Amino acid sequence: MKKSFLLLAAIFFLVSCGVRMEPKIEMETSSKVLNVYIWTNYLPREVVDEFQRRTGIAVNVDTYDSNEAVLEKLQSGVADYDLVVPSDYMLKVLIPQGLVRPLDRARLPHFKNLDPRFLDQKFDPGNGHSIPYLWGTTGIGYNKKVGTVDSWRVLFDPKYSGRILMLDDPREAFGAALKLMGRSINERDPGVLRQAAEMLKRQKPLVRTYNSSDFANLLAAGDVDLAHGYNGELAEVVANAPDRLAYAVPKEGGTLWIDNLSIPKGARNLDSAYVFLDYLMEPEVAAKIVNGVHYAGANQAALPLIDAKIRQDPSIYPSKEVLDRCELIEDLGKTTQLIDELWTEVKAR
Amino acid sequence: MAPDRSASFRKPAYPLILPAWIALGIFFLAPLVLMLAVSFAERGTYGGIEPVGNLWAYLRSGAFLGNYIRSFGALYLWIGWRSLWMAALTTALAIAVSFPIAYYLAILAPARWKGLLLGLVVVPFWTSFLIRTYAWMFILRTEGLLNHVLMGTGLLHHPVELLYTQTAVLIGLVYGELPFMILPLYASLEKLDRSLLEAAADLGAGGAQSFWRVTLPLTLPGLAAGVVLVFVPSLGQFVVSDLLGGARSMLLGNLIQNQFAVARNKPFGSALAFELMAAVLVLLLAYAVYAKKRGGEALL
Amino acid sequence: MKGTRRLLAAHTALVYLFLYAPIAILVVFSFNASRQTAFWSGFTLDWYRQLFANPLLFRAVRNSLVVAGATTFIAVLLGTPAALALARHEFRGKRATQALLYLPVIIPEVVLGAALVTFFGAAGLRLSIATVVIAHVVFSVSYVAIVVRARLAGLDPALEEAARDLGAGPFETFRRVTLPLAAPGILASALLVFTLSIDDYVITSFVAGVGATTLPLHIYSMLKVGVTPEVNAVSTLLLAGTIVLIVIAHYLLGKDLLAKGPS
Repeated sequence: MKKSFLLLAAIFFLVSCGVRMEPKIEMETSSKVLNVYIWTNYLPREVVDEFQRRTGIAVNVDTYDSNEAVLEKLQSGVADYDLVVPSDYMLKVLIPQGLVRPLDRARLPHFKNLDPRFLDQKFDPGNGHSIPYLWGTTGIGYNKKVGTVDSWRVLFDPKYSGRILMLDDPREAFGAALKLMGRSINERDPGVLRQAAEMLKRQKPLVRTYNSSDFANLLAAGDVDLAHGYNGELAEVVANAPDRLAYAVPKEGGTLWIDNLSIPKGARNLDSAYVFLDYLMEPEVAAKIVNGVHYAGANQAALPLIDAKIRQDPSIYPSKEVLDRCELIEDLGKTTQLIDELWTEVKAR
Repeated sequence: MAPDRSASFRKPAYPLILPAWIALGIFFLAPLVLMLAVSFAERGTYGGIEPVGNLWAYLRSGAFLGNYIRSFGALYLWIGWRSLWMAALTTALAIAVSFPIAYYLAILAPARWKGLLLGLVVVPFWTSFLIRTYAWMFILRTEGLLNHVLMGTGLLHHPVELLYTQTAVLIGLVYGELPFMILPLYASLEKLDRSLLEAAADLGAGGAQSFWRVTLPLTLPGLAAGVVLVFVPSLGQFVVSDLLGGARSMLLGNLIQNQFAVARNKPFGSALAFELMAAVLVLLLAYAVYAKKRGGEALL
Repeated sequence: MKGTRRLLAAHTALVYLFLYAPIAILVVFSFNASRQTAFWSGFTLDWYRQLFANPLLFRAVRNSLVVAGATTFIAVLLGTPAALALARHEFRGKRATQALLYLPVIIPEVVLGAALVTFFGAAGLRLSIATVVIAHVVFSVSYVAIVVRARLAGLDPALEEAARDLGAGPFETFRRVTLPLAAPGILASALLVFTLSIDDYVITSFVAGVGATTLPLHIYSMLKVGVTPEVNAVSTLLLAGTIVLIVIAHYLLGKDLLAKGPS
C-alpha cells in the first residue's frame, strides 16, 4: 500500500513538472514561435509545414468559426495571438478600439503582389492595419433534386422543412432575410430588423441545424438538401459531386466578404508575424492556399499558378454580374446590440 | 463522530484549512464577486462594459438591476422553464432506467460479481464525455449506424432523422448522467436491511407492497442524492444540446455561453449565471434540510 | 418473484448494452476503411497512422496530461489537510469552510468558466496552461476534500486515540496512523480528479490560451469541422488508456476503490 502510494505520488509529481518545463522552452525560443488564430479550413497544413521548414519558426494554429470569437479573444486582453484573420466588418470594429496594430509596410515587400481591387477598402483605408487574404460569397449550396435554386425564398419554404441548414451567424442569417425583403444587409432601421427577425423565427422550425463549420459536409452527406454557406467549401463538395450538388448566389444578391490578416495589439512574436505575413503573399504560397482551401485569394501574382479548375469555377471566381449584386457586410455600431438580442430570440424559441 | 476533547486538537485546524482558503479565496470567491459586480453593469457598444459615470446616481436610479429585470422577460423565463423541464425529464428517465439495475446489482446479483458489475457501470464514465456524445452523433446521423441497420434489415424505407432533435439531446443527457444515478441508488439499496423485507413478507405484504412501503422509503436518501447529481448538471449543460441538438435549442447553459462568446453581453450573461447559481443553491439547501431531517443519511 | 428477477436481469443487461454499444461501435469503426461513416468496407489502420502524424493532436494530449498531473498534485496538497480539519476538528468557521469547499462542485461549469475568464481578464493574467491548471484546481480541491473526508469519517477514531494513548504526538499520529488509513481515499480522489481534469471541456474552453489546447478542446474542434474516422481513432486510444489506468488502479488499490466511484 505504501509503495504504490509513493509510486503514484511520484508519477503525478513528475507529470506536473511538465508545467514548469513548458514556459522555460517558450522563453528560450520566443522569437521562434508564432501563434495564429484563423478560420477553420483556411490554412493548408503543407503551407504551414513549408514555412516551419524554411524558417524554423514553430507555428501554433488555433481555429474559430465566427468573427465574434476573434473580438472576444482580443477584447479579453489576455489571449496570446500574433496573427488573426477578421472579416471586413469586424476590422471596422477592431481598428477604432486599437485592438490591432498598424502594419509596417516596409517589412512586407510582397505586398505589391496583391490585387488592387481588394485594397483600400472602407473598413481599412490605405490598408494601414490589414492585408486582404481570401474573399468569397455567401450563398446556397443545394442538392439538385430540389430543382434549380436562384432565390433566398427556398430557405424559408416549408416544402423543405427539416432539410435546411443555416449558418450559425447573426449577420449572415439576417442578411438572407433582409435580402429576401429587398433590403440591404446593412439595414439599420429597428422596425425592418424586427420584421427580419420574425421571418427567421418563422423559419426556425424548418431548419435542421445551425452550423458555421460543417455545412458543406452535411450537404454532401445528405443530412440536408439546402445549405446556407460560404462558397469555397461548398464549391469543393460540388466539384466532388457535380451531377448531384450545386452552388448559387441568389438573384436578390448575397454577401461578399473579404477576410484579412492582422496583427493583434498584444502580439509578442512580431518578427515571426511579419515573416509569415510576407511569406503568405508569395505567389506560389498564395496559389497553394487557394488550391488547398478553394477560396479565391486577393493575390494577383498568384493567378497563373492556380488550378485551372478552380480558376474557372464560377462559384469561386464569380462573374462581375454576380459580384455586382453582392454587398460587403458593414459594421452597424450600436445597432449590433439589437441584432444580437434579436438573434438570441430567434435561437431561443 | 465525537469531537476530540483534548484542546490540542482545536488549534491545528486553521493551518490545515488555510491553503485551501487562500487558493479558493483568490481564484473562486474573488471571480464570483467580480462577476456579481459585472452583472450590475451595462454592456458597452462592442461588448465589454459601459463605464459607469456617476456611481451613486446609477445605484439610485435602479439601473443597476437592468440585467436582472431583463432576465425576467418572457423569452428568458421560457428558456429557463425549458431547461428545467429538460433537466427534470432527464432526471426522471435516469431514475426509470437506473432503479431496476441498481436494485438488481445491490440485492439480486451474486456477491462475487457485485464489484465487477459495479465497476463496469463506472467504466464508461471514465472515458471522455465528448467522445461519448460524438458516439451518439455517429449513430444517429442520417448516414449513421442506426439508419443503416434499420434500413438494411428492411424495417424502414426512409432514414429516420434523429440527430439534431430534442430526442437526441435527451438520449445524450441520460447516457452521460446514468452512472450518477445508478451509484447513489446502489449505495442506498446496498445498505438495505434484508431482514426488514423478510419481516414485511412475514406480515403478508406482497412483492409490490413491500417495495412501495419498505424498499422505496428506505432508499430515498440515495434517490435524493442521485436526483441532485443528475438534475443540477443537466440544468447548466450546453455541450450536448449544442452538438446533438444542432445548435437549435437554447437552454440556460447555451444562453449563458452565448452571452459570453457570441452576443458578448458579459453583464447580462453574468446576471443569468448568478440566477442559475441561486436556483441550484436553493435546490441544494432544500436537499440539505431534507437530509438533516432524516438524520444525517445524506450521501453527499 | 422469479419472473421479476428475470425481468430485472434482462433490464440490467439492456442497460449495459446501452452503456457500451456506442463505445463498441466507435472502436470498431475506427478501423473502417471507408470515410463514409457507416458502411463497413475493410479493415485499415490508416486513421491511426494519420493520427500519429498529427502534431497538433500530440500537443493536445501532452497538454492534457500536464494539466491533469499538476492539478491532481496541487488539489491533493490543498484538499487533504482541509479534509482532515473537517473530519477531525471542531472550529469556528467550520460551516463556512464546508460551504466553500462544496460550492465549486455545485456551481454549473458554465458559471465557473465565465467567472474565471472575467477574473483573468480583469487581473491581466494571460491565458495559458497555467490558467487552465488554476481553473481545474478550483473544482478539484472540492472533490479531494469531499472524498478524503468521507474516508476519514469512516475510520475508527479508536485507532488514533490508541496511538495517542501510547504517547504519539499529533504529527506522528497523523503520519503513522491517519495517513496510511486515509491513503485509499486520497488515491481515490486523486484518480477521480485526474480523470475529471483530462475530460474537462466546458471550463477549459473559457480559460485556455494559445498552445494550451487540451485534448477535449481539440476533439471538440474536430467534431465541429466534420466527423471523420480520425475522431474514432482518438476515442479508441483514449478508451484504451483509461482502461489500462483503471486496471492498474484496481490491481494496486483493491476492489472497494471502484465501488466508491464519483459519489
